[in-house]
Order: sequence, then structure tokens, then C-alpha cells
Amino acid sequence: MSIKNDGAWIGKKLARKEDHRLTTGKGRFLADLSIPGMLHLTFLRSERAHARIKSIDTSAADAFPGIVAIYKGEDIKDNILPMPQPVVQPNLPARFPKHWPLAVGKVKFHGEPVAAIVSRDKYVGADAAEAIIVEYEDLPYVGNPEKALEAGATKVHDDWNDNLIFEMGFTGGETPESQAINDAEVDEIMKTADIVIKNRFRVQRCGMTPMETRGVLADWDDADGLVAHITTQRPHIDRLGLSDILCIPAEQVRVISPRDQGGGFGVKAPFYREPILICWLAKELGRPIRWIETRQEHLMAVSQERDQINDLEVAATKDGKLLAIRNRGIADCGDGCSGVYWGFVMPFLGAVELPNGYTWEKGDVKVKVAVTNKSCLSPARAFGEFPTRFAMERSVDMVAKRCDMEPAELRRKNLIPELPYSSVCGEYMDSGDFLKVWDNLMEQADLPSFRKKQEEAREEGRYIGIGFGVGVELSGVSSELMVPMENQPGYGAATIRLDARGKAFVYEGDAPQGQGHETTAAQAVAHAFGIHPNEVVVTTGDTSTTPFGSGTIGARMGSYFVSAAVEAAEVLKKKLARFLAHDMELEGAAEDDFEFKDGEIIYMKDPNIRQSFRDACNRNIMSPINLPEGESAGLEHTAFFEAAKPMIAFNADVCTVEVNPDNGQFKLLSWTSSEDVGQIINPQIVEGQMHGAIVQGISNTIFEEFIYDENGQQLTADFENYKLATAADVPNMKITHAPTPCPHTPLGSRGIGEGRPSDVPGCITNAVCDALSPFDIQITELPLRPNKIWRLIQEAKSKQAAA
Amino acid sequence: MNTTVKITINGETYEEHIPNRMLLVDFIREVAMQTGTHVGCTYEGVCGACTIQLDGEAIKSCLMLAVQADGHQVTTVEGLAKDGELTSLQKAFNEHHALQCGYCTPGILMNMDEFIKKNPNPTEEEIRHGLVGNLCRCTGYAHIVAAVKDAAGKSA
Repeated sequence: MSIKNDGAWIGKKLARKEDHRLTTGKGRFLADLSIPGMLHLTFLRSERAHARIKSIDTSAADAFPGIVAIYKGEDIKDNILPMPQPVVQPNLPARFPKHWPLAVGKVKFHGEPVAAIVSRDKYVGADAAEAIIVEYEDLPYVGNPEKALEAGATKVHDDWNDNLIFEMGFTGGETPESQAINDAEVDEIMKTADIVIKNRFRVQRCGMTPMETRGVLADWDDADGLVAHITTQRPHIDRLGLSDILCIPAEQVRVISPRDQGGGFGVKAPFYREPILICWLAKELGRPIRWIETRQEHLMAVSQERDQINDLEVAATKDGKLLAIRNRGIADCGDGCSGVYWGFVMPFLGAVELPNGYTWEKGDVKVKVAVTNKSCLSPARAFGEFPTRFAMERSVDMVAKRCDMEPAELRRKNLIPELPYSSVCGEYMDSGDFLKVWDNLMEQADLPSFRKKQEEAREEGRYIGIGFGVGVELSGVSSELMVPMENQPGYGAATIRLDARGKAFVYEGDAPQGQGHETTAAQAVAHAFGIHPNEVVVTTGDTSTTPFGSGTIGARMGSYFVSAAVEAAEVLKKKLARFLAHDMELEGAAEDDFEFKDGEIIYMKDPNIRQSFRDACNRNIMSPINLPEGESAGLEHTAFFEAAKPMIAFNADVCTVEVNPDNGQFKLLSWTSSEDVGQIINPQIVEGQMHGAIVQGISNTIFEEFIYDENGQQLTADFENYKLATAADVPNMKITHAPTPCPHTPLGSRGIGEGRPSDVPGCITNAVCDALSPFDIQITELPLRPNKIWRLIQEAKSKQAAA
Repeated sequence: MNTTVKITINGETYEEHIPNRMLLVDFIREVAMQTGTHVGCTYEGVCGACTIQLDGEAIKSCLMLAVQADGHQVTTVEGLAKDGELTSLQKAFNEHHALQCGYCTPGILMNMDEFIKKNPNPTEEEIRHGLVGNLCRCTGYAHIVAAVKDAAGKSA
């Protein structure tokens, strides 16, 4: 597509502005940054899952040349306030474990930081870590979340009376009385419904694991204070958190998330313990300090999510009308020591989103989250809902089987027919057309011809199957949900500054990690002003130059940030229009009588009256004389966008598989999606987000699993043992659109990408079960491994032989 | 123990006295200060972000010591474009949106640059198998495959 400077940039496939530097080696990621005199920090991490620290002997390590200092928990606990701090504490009924950046007294998971070595050379830092001798006294390992919640269980946190970090009900209103009535009504439906299916669904511990690990580069000056470069999705929250916990006045704390960050997907969103220590040490030692997390550290300490058991009951009529759900979720949170999320906010949201895009008369949904001796859960795309949606999408297929209906038909029958709609768990879905998205998918899928092919294949002894899934995704997170859930605002904030040459500078307080914000925001702003995206410069993630933002999380870009940027642009356009009306002496001209197009401002009532955008900016900024009455010079505005209610996006997927019944191996043959992302800003970027999310979902479903042995040793801390999908493991994907513009955003756009992997595990597993339907196999656990499938086939065969 | 090595990176020779245990990737990033080559795994050669070309052959620079590269020619992502003119592969990555965060991209470019020279007309399956030594977490690989196919056609 040729791109003309016609001022219409919304919906255009524009090659990204970020790519030149990233394809020529000029990207500047955290590990590429250095400061003269910089020291390296190396963590010694616990080898034990749960043990008292008897002693730490650093004498041999201290003697290594180039070692500047070695710190232990005891050295810092009286100098750094402990977590939690209110700024990173959700307003939810939970407990927040007290902890410091280095273990104090005992270690609570394999990989917890025990000591920090500051050295001039990173190789010597690694040598010194090996020379530190820690004497441990082992304590019983708490590794099973259900057992952890039993009376008398070993406690992970000594000052707690049990291992329950969070417990909540999501249904039946606010009072215990209304909840009891609701639960009794659900119970009645479960007793009387034609069909009730009940299963225990498990999704293993796995996550999103970006290619760039975490890192910090902190520098201190007694006058200027702290400048901390941190791999983070939320620099403004990190700034407030660091100020509070290190007792540094906020004006002396600047956090910069590097312009280039190598993926995040949620993993870089928490307020972690490592940056706290490194920033404190930079101040303590008065030297710049850098820590680049190793991949082994990363896989031991973060990137672990999911890990839920959902005991889900679904009631339906025999003709396939879904009636009610009852779910008891249990999540294994790890030690719970991680700011903002504390390991339980993910299962909280997973429960909220359990009902998905279906209508339910009633629901009884409750969740318990246990602390254990594992790494704290950290967020991952499809935040908390990956396990609950697996449970839901599998259950829907099982109901269809009982009704002898096509799962596709049952889905259509139960999709929410009209929005807005509030789910039984209180999720508000603002707008969209689920049936339109679904019908578009079914046109792509051509189910009747697949069934014919399936029958023919079976005659040849081949097992092919088709699976479906749908997903409601949050389009940004409104303050209504963000304030309780994360103690942060949901609004999007954008500053636009126009310069005297008619160029636009856009400032975003969130911190992207590859989503293409520089391009998307430039397109939206260029569209508004009628200029070229190359004339728009987008700056992100520096707390000293950008307005406050809660971070690049929850699909906030296309929903909240872009909307704020468009609103800021509209304010500036009105000012430019008022100046032009004044200068041209246009009697009765209104702000909306001017069109911004092709680099010009045009008076629509008399198109001969026009001014170049550049001249208009120059006049305002450089010639502030003869101003319109009551006006001042300057073209800068910050807008805060907040939708009145939460917003959503919606998608549906279909995939086909072939399973080899002799060994349980299967191959994904095709993948097609149907999306409602509202008004698309850049179709290529949207498509890339979908591809990436679907493949992450596939990789989580089939390959990825963090494994702790019976002593809590984590066995999967490298990419040899924690396998990610490669190019040869995944199919091509066909992404199609059935959009409904969002009525609550200025462009009609929706935020997309965060929740997008959520229906993938159900979709794939449904296809495998469909392929194996002659064996009547129902899979309820992930990961989906050939050996498990093979075992289920063998069991089914013996059962069939016996019958 | 230290050794003096002479390693040529993108046509520029570095004669340096370095510890024997220094990895080639650290020599490239920290001695030559060419930071386009990245580290993504625990130096086990799985992620491919550190892929460079040694005498024209794509290799993983985390699996080699710098002393082993003594006397050899190294090309990194910074050395692909000539006189500011990007290769058709680099251009195709931009046109096809074959990168998101861009962290894995330099390694993929160095691997695929060699790959399309050896396989000027690859099938999709050949490209996908050619990419198994490079992990990408953002793109789902689809646009990368499209970009490589397009660039191979243009380079042939």
C-alpha cells in the first residue's frame, strides 16, 4: 500500500518507526547502558526451598580482587524499610508478607536472594558468589497448595497463623446474607438441572518469559538524588515505591525504563525486590551499579504464573442452554513476596473472568490462594484467566457432548447476544457484537466440510479434530477495577507539545516493551493534526518528562493512552483554530469549523482561507503578539482519558489438529481467528500482537512447565529444560476481523493483546479431544503432552475392550 | 590468565589483552562495545540472540571463547548494512513487521543472512527449521517467516 501524506493514518499499515535502530544493532536495551565507574551486582541465591540461615561466611569471597562489598540480609534489614509499602499494596482482602530484598532469618524458595556481591568485574562477582559459604538448616518444604491450607501445615511465613494469603467470593452481592441466598440458588440449579458436569482442571506453573531478562542501572548523586534505569512496565509506580521504601524524597527519584525493552508480557510489571536493593546500594556506596539478571535467575525468580486448580461445575439444560457455574479455585502463589500483585492478583482476576462471553443465570465462584515455598507468581499475558478459561472452554465442550450437540452450535446458542452485560462475577462488558465475531469465525471454519473430511480420515485410521474457543479480554483497566485491584489509577495520560516547526512531541508515562507504541501513537496524533507520522516523536517511560501512567499493562495502549493522546490533540487543535479565526478576523467562526489535513488548517466555510500547520504553530510559539483575547502563547496539553465503565475486546478461535493414536503425538494443522478489536490503528501491528499471543498460548499449553521436585528444587531454570515454542513447532495463523467500533473511545479503538492467549489452551485441547472422540477422552490437565494423551488412549481402549 | 588476541569485527581489528575465560559475546559487547549482539539464555546456545557470523558462518558467540576467535573475522548485526544501505533482509523485517521488541532480531538476522545465501529459494518449512536455533517471544514467528521468504526472493 502506498502511503501518501493525506492526513489519514488511522487504519494504515505503516512500517514501524522503531525498526531501523532495532534491525541495525542500535537498539539501546538496559544491558547496553553503562556509566563510567559502574560496578556490577551479582546475587547469591538460595539453594534451598525452605531453610533457616545459620550462617553466611563471606571471608573467602571478600578476598577476591575487585570485590567492593558483599551484603547479607542482616546488613540491610535495619537500613531499608521492609515490604509491603502502601503504594504497591492492592485494596483487596489479603495479607502481605513482610520481606526485604535479601533473605532475613530464613529462605522461602529455591532462588531467593541471600547475598549481593558488588564487584568491578562481573566474572569476579560470579567467582565470589561461588566462594560464599551458607550454612542452612532445612525446614519442611511446603509445595502443595491444598496441603498448605490444611490445619497444622508448616508455615511459609513465621509470623502468620496459616498459609492463606487471599480468599474471596465473587458472586451473590456484597453481604454474607445475599451470598448465602445466591449459593443456595446455585445449589438448587446443580441439583435439578438436566446436565451437570464437574471436573477438576489443573494448569501448570508456566509464564511468558521475555527474551530480555530484568536489569537495573542505578546512579546516585547527593544533590540530584537517584536516577534508576529499570526494565519495567510501570516506571511511575517504581518511582513512588522506591521513594517510599528508601525514604528518598520523591523529587530526588527519577526512574527511566529504557526506550528499548526486550519483551515484558506482565513479567516486568511488579515492584520487585532486586531494584530496591540496587538503588539503595547505589546511594550507600555512591557508585553507579548495574545488575543484569541471568536467564537462570530469571527462570528461578520470576516469569512463573498460572498454577491453579479449578473445581468447576457447569449446569445446563439437555438442549444446551447453559444455566449456572460453581467454581472453587485454588492457586499456588509461591512466597507472595512481590509488590503490586503479591502473587494473588492474577487468580483474583482469573476468577472475575471465568464466566467468559456466555450468559449464565447464576454463579457461585470462590477462590483461595496459598503461599508455598516457590517463587512468587508474577503476571503473564492472559493474566490469571489462562487457567480459568481452560476450565470454561473445556467444560463447554463437555456439555455439548452430553447434549449431543456441535460445540460450535452450543457456543453460539449461549454467547451474550447483546451488550452491555454484567457477568455473574461482576465483570462489565461495555460493547461489541459477539455473534458477529462468532459468525465470521464459522464462515472461515466451514465445519460441515471438516466433519466430512474427519469421517474420511477415520476410515483411513487417521484422527483429525477441530476445536473452538472464545475470549473476552479487558481493553485497558478502568480505575473502577484498578484502584481496588492494584491501588493505582486506570486513566491514560498523554502530553503533546507542538514546536515552532509544526512537529508534535508526545509523552507517555507507560513503558512499552515491543508493542510499537512509537508508531501507533504517531499514527493517531498525525491523523489528528493532518501531518505525517514521521513528524511525531514519541517519548516513553521517563518519569521526569512524562505524565503519570500506571504502566504498559492490560491492553492500555489502544484503549486508554491513544484516547488520551487524541483528546490532547483535540484541545490543541481548538486553540490553533481560535488563533486562526482571530488572525483572519473570521466573524462567528467556531473551533469545529476548521479541518486539519495535508499539513494545513482549512476553514471549511471558505476553503480559500487556510494556513500551514507549521506556520500556525510558529505564530503561536514565536510571535506571541496580537493574541486573541484571554489567550496565552504555547501549544502543550496533557489529557487524562478515562472511560466511564470498563471496556472489553472479544475474539474467537478455531484450530485443527491431527493426533497419532499410537504415541499420542499431535500436530496443529491450522489456526484461524476472528477478532473484534474495534477501529484498527495499524493492522500489521494488531496482527503481530495476535500472532505472538496465540503462539505464547500454544507454547504454554504444550511445552512450558516449571517443575519443583519433592524438596522444592526448581529443575527448569534454563531453556534446555524450560522449552519455548520454536518456529518449527507452530502453524501459520489466519487473523480475520469482525469489528464493532468501541463507542467509548474517541477513535472507536479497543486495547488488544494482553488477554489474547486466554482461549488458546481450551481451543487446542478441545481439538485433540475432538480428534479422539471415538475414545471418549476428556483432558482436564495441562501441559498437553503426548505421553498423557497416549495413556488416556490406552485407558479408553481397555475400558472399551472390557465393555 | 590473559592472552593477546587480534579479532576483526565488521572490518575493524581489535588487538586486546583479555582473560582467557572471556566469552566471545562479552568481547563483542564489552570490549568492542558493539551492543547489537544480545544475550538471552544462560550461555547454553539455546536462544540464538548472540548469533554472529565467524568468517561468514552463523555461530552463537556465547558458545565460544574470545581467544578461539583470534585471527578470525567476525560480522555482527552492525556490519550488515553497507554505507547506510540496509540489506534486503533488514528491509523485509521492517516491511513485514517481523520484529516487536527487537531483542532476538540481531541474532535472527545474522542466522537468516547466511541461510538465504545458502538457500536462495527456501520453502516455508525450510525457513521454520532454519529458525529453530533462534527463540522469539513476541511475534509467533509468522511475520519472520514471511520476511525471510520475501528477502530470499529479492536476494536471489
